[in-house]
Amino acid sequence: MKHLIPEFEKLKKRYPAGLDSALVLPCLHRIQADRGYVADEDIDGLCEFLRVPRIQVEEVLSYYTMFRRKPVGRWHLQVCRNVSCSMRGAERLIGHVCKRAGVSQPGQTSADGRFTVSTVECLGSCGTAPVLVVNETYHENMDAAKTDALLEGLK
Amino acid sequence: MPEIFVDGVAIEAKDGQTVMEAARDAGIYIPGFCWHPQLSVAGNCRLCMVEVEGDTGGWMDIACNMPATRGMKVLTQSPKVKERRKTMLEMVLLNHPVDCGVCDKAGECMLQDYHYEHNGAASVATVAKHRTTKFHELSKRIVLDNERCVLCSRCVRFTKEVSKSHALGILDRGDHSLVRCDEKRSLDDDPYSDNVVDLCPVGALLSRRFLYKSRVWYLQPTPSVCPGCERGCTVDLWHRKAEWKFNALDPRQNVAIERVTPRENPAVNGPWICNKARDLPDLLERPRGGAPMLKGARVPLAEAAGAARRMIDAASSPVALISSWGSNEELAAARDALGPRFRCFVKADHVPQPGERVGDDFLIRPDKNPNGKRARELFGTAPVSLDGADLVLVWGEGFDFADVPRGAKSILLNAFLAPENGHADAYFPTTLQTERAGHYTNFAGVVSAFAPIRRAPAGSVDAEALFGMLAAVARVPA
Amino acid sequence: MPGRQLLMTFPVTATSHLLAAYRERGGYETLRRVLTTMKPEQVTKEVAASGILGHGGAAFPAGRKWQVIHLDDGQPHYLCANADEGEPGTFKDRWILENAPHRLVESMVIAGYALQVHNAFVYIRGEFDLPCRRLQAAIDEAYDAGLLGERIMGSEYSMDLVAHRGAGSYVCGEASGLLTSIEGRKGYPRNRPPRLTVRGLFQRPTVVNNVETLSNLSVILAMGGEEFRKIGAPKSPGTQLVSISGHVAKPGVYELEFGYPVKKFIFEDCGGVLGGRGLKCIVPGGISTKVLTGAEIENVTYDHASFAKAGSGLGSGGMIVIAEGTCMVRLLQVMVRFYHHESCGQCTPCRDGMGWMHKLIDGIVEGRGRREDLARMEAIALANDGTTICGMGDACGYAVTGILAKYRDEFEYWIANGRSKFDGRLEVAEAELAHA
Repeated sequence: MKHLIPEFEKLKKRYPAGLDSALVLPCLHRIQADRGYVADEDIDGLCEFLRVPRIQVEEVLSYYTMFRRKPVGRWHLQVCRNVSCSMRGAERLIGHVCKRAGVSQPGQTSADGRFTVSTVECLGSCGTAPVLVVNETYHENMDAAKTDALLEGLK
Repeated sequence: MPEIFVDGVAIEAKDGQTVMEAARDAGIYIPGFCWHPQLSVAGNCRLCMVEVEGDTGGWMDIACNMPATRGMKVLTQSPKVKERRKTMLEMVLLNHPVDCGVCDKAGECMLQDYHYEHNGAASVATVAKHRTTKFHELSKRIVLDNERCVLCSRCVRFTKEVSKSHALGILDRGDHSLVRCDEKRSLDDDPYSDNVVDLCPVGALLSRRFLYKSRVWYLQPTPSVCPGCERGCTVDLWHRKAEWKFNALDPRQNVAIERVTPRENPAVNGPWICNKARDLPDLLERPRGGAPMLKGARVPLAEAAGAARRMIDAASSPVALISSWGSNEELAAARDALGPRFRCFVKADHVPQPGERVGDDFLIRPDKNPNGKRARELFGTAPVSLDGADLVLVWGEGFDFADVPRGAKSILLNAFLAPENGHADAYFPTTLQTERAGHYTNFAGVVSAFAPIRRAPAGSVDAEALFGMLAAVARVPA
Repeated sequence: MPGRQLLMTFPVTATSHLLAAYRERGGYETLRRVLTTMKPEQVTKEVAASGILGHGGAAFPAGRKWQVIHLDDGQPHYLCANADEGEPGTFKDRWILENAPHRLVESMVIAGYALQVHNAFVYIRGEFDLPCRRLQAAIDEAYDAGLLGERIMGSEYSMDLVAHRGAGSYVCGEASGLLTSIEGRKGYPRNRPPRLTVRGLFQRPTVVNNVETLSNLSVILAMGGEEFRKIGAPKSPGTQLVSISGHVAKPGVYELEFGYPVKKFIFEDCGGVLGGRGLKCIVPGGISTKVLTGAEIENVTYDHASFAKAGSGLGSGGMIVIAEGTCMVRLLQVMVRFYHHESCGQCTPCRDGMGWMHKLIDGIVEGRGRREDLARMEAIALANDGTTICGMGDACGYAVTGILAKYRDEFEYWIANGRSKFDGRLEVAEAELAHA
């Protein structure tokens, strides 16, 4: 993460002076975008940079669902399983995505490391349900055919 | 000074106090796991929920975060309050293993007490309990049973706010939350870590030193003072009650210090002590000196005292090295006995050990002896000088016998077994603070008392009495 | 068009969210007028006069929240837009963030000026990919155009604004949890007192307002508080962005003037229930509001008083339409699973209660249910009523007690027969849709 420090320094300027702990989440997001997950050495580097106790960053990483401390597959497929999506076919979609991704249930990564499938709670895509998120990008109004076409393009 | 009414009783709350604080000050106990007078308000256990009567119907909130405001009418025993407490305890017990039979905390567990007082009913849960880690090694000193944990966060707040090691946190979320230590460090780095064992309202944090050693109801506390540094923290030494002496046990075990806990003392240590105090058995239960000796030969006390007296009588330039572990009473006796005749110097019996924290801005002080201040008041602060001495009286530990001038006689008072005991011309095994009553004066001048928990071993002698025996000659002017 | 439109006033195109398009629509002119002609206190007065209620769910008067801030207390104040839109069924703020981010930025500068804030935040859901990018782009455009940062529009007033991404936690949508999260910690909500307007972000006075509430400010300041008050219903001035989803023919975000008839909205504006089925019930404003049956909404109008009278609330504006033939047991299971997943774990009744309810309802669905389980679920909901640090305990309680009260027979049926009265269906079958 050391190479990101100039970027973090720039970010700092828009936050209240001296309250560096506010940068914990933004920096972790940036680190994760860079590496795909947050590694041990990133935590050490961040704690040193922001002068926050390591346990605080460990707590944050374990508490928020978006942060990962281990790599996931090249394509992270997240399917919403909340109310509106469930009412528009999410439960079938989850099964279908798992099958096409080659995993037996959500939470797993395919053997070739191509896909990781997760379920997530409401993503605010209720009006265009069900939703499948690939890495960060929303794909809405999904069904089996659209999923097949989408996954086909993800190598 | 707002006046508030708690269960109809008018009490004076101090400005800025919460209802919890005001009520407890007035002797009204409102239950709670997470609230602790020395920690920030977490307000997470929700057990201290009380009812406030209002003109437009009452309202309920937690007492620990409720500012006491003039005229407020608080109910701590109303039907609504009792119902809330009962349901909170049902929640707490939902995933609690109720393994009191094998839990060291049993007998002094807040959950047990509260259950008997505020719930008392059989479990209403029909669902399977949530299983998680038991015997998680938080450090070399502490094990954590996450199934028993009620997530009150007292331990976490302690390491954040009091010891400031920031070692502990709560990972994950919801009912999967787990107290854990910083991955890269051990709680062992926190010299105050064992306080979390006392702070834990349940049996989640356990001392490995005390693990399965005894049921707490077999033990009794005796007030004492930690000799580990000049802070002189007041402690309780826990040992078996007389009626629970167990003949099948090794006799030493029947009188052993089973554990050490802080004895709350706002003037000295508040409710805390450092880990060194927890390890007092290591310091105080080392092998003892046995019997008086003259040049390594065991002799009766009277004979050894007579020989010592003659040495003192014959000496023209005697020097005494005063123990900074001596009690106020012993030091006074030493001054009376030796003062006019001896050149006296105060020595440090103990110095910081490798790896030991020398000092900090919390409790730990650099002088690792309990009574240096009083000793220096009586005997001055001059550095130890043995120049021209023909008799050296050494009281306590921390002196290298190679420094006794060639040809000079030596008298040694030492409680513990040591090679130099046999080298001294006269040796007296002295008693320990666990075998007599006395006082220490800490670095700030606060005097604290200790009491005996057991009889002194045969052959040992109180330094105070010994100085009396030597005084007969010592008082004769040179 | 369901009444007057204040926010959805333009056709959405590929460029309508950009600064140039916003300026063409008159954007930032209100801000210029505020900065050059009004004192901060006057702005707050206008907001108070408008009577606008918070659009995040609690419906607290925004003006009253602002009036707690003392401009001369010698300490920094902070302003946060709550864009952590996580209440299931709600996606209205997402519409603003994607399509009218400058409306939010302009309004936040107005609010910041009124409250004399120099650091403002938009706490935005981390999962909101496009909204995050659109908002960040808008902030960057605004900085470049001198609409943020030092001496805004040449005035004496300076304010920094950051888009601060959350990272996946429902309770961070609660104002104090949101602030704890900005502080770089787990999103644990805080006990009140103190109120956030007294000790909020980093212990400083802080105003947290919903995105939609804030976005209305430029509208209010443009037309004047008194004029704004004339729009909508007597006790609910203005409009509400309603996000409607579930078994409805035309889901999406609609702007409703308060007071608009709910049935008309569902059946005329939104095309009625999917597949032509009957209306079983609606979740009126996010799953934390009590469900209302088709009969119960017969005469309900879309405003706070009318929903309250019907025994629910309009919450966060997230309406979910539920068709006849939907299994309410499975629906509640999905809801309870969500609450269990999102409980922060800080306080006892929610931490243990959510998991307990989740296990109970899973037991029912798996055929191990017992009649007492329903009473137990209600008891757990009651134990969470007003006892938790934040409102989440209560919220789950509303969902549970609402559905259990109105559809208890479905639960009893499943417990007695070991299967759903409606085949466990959550969807309207595709065959039906094709037929319709």
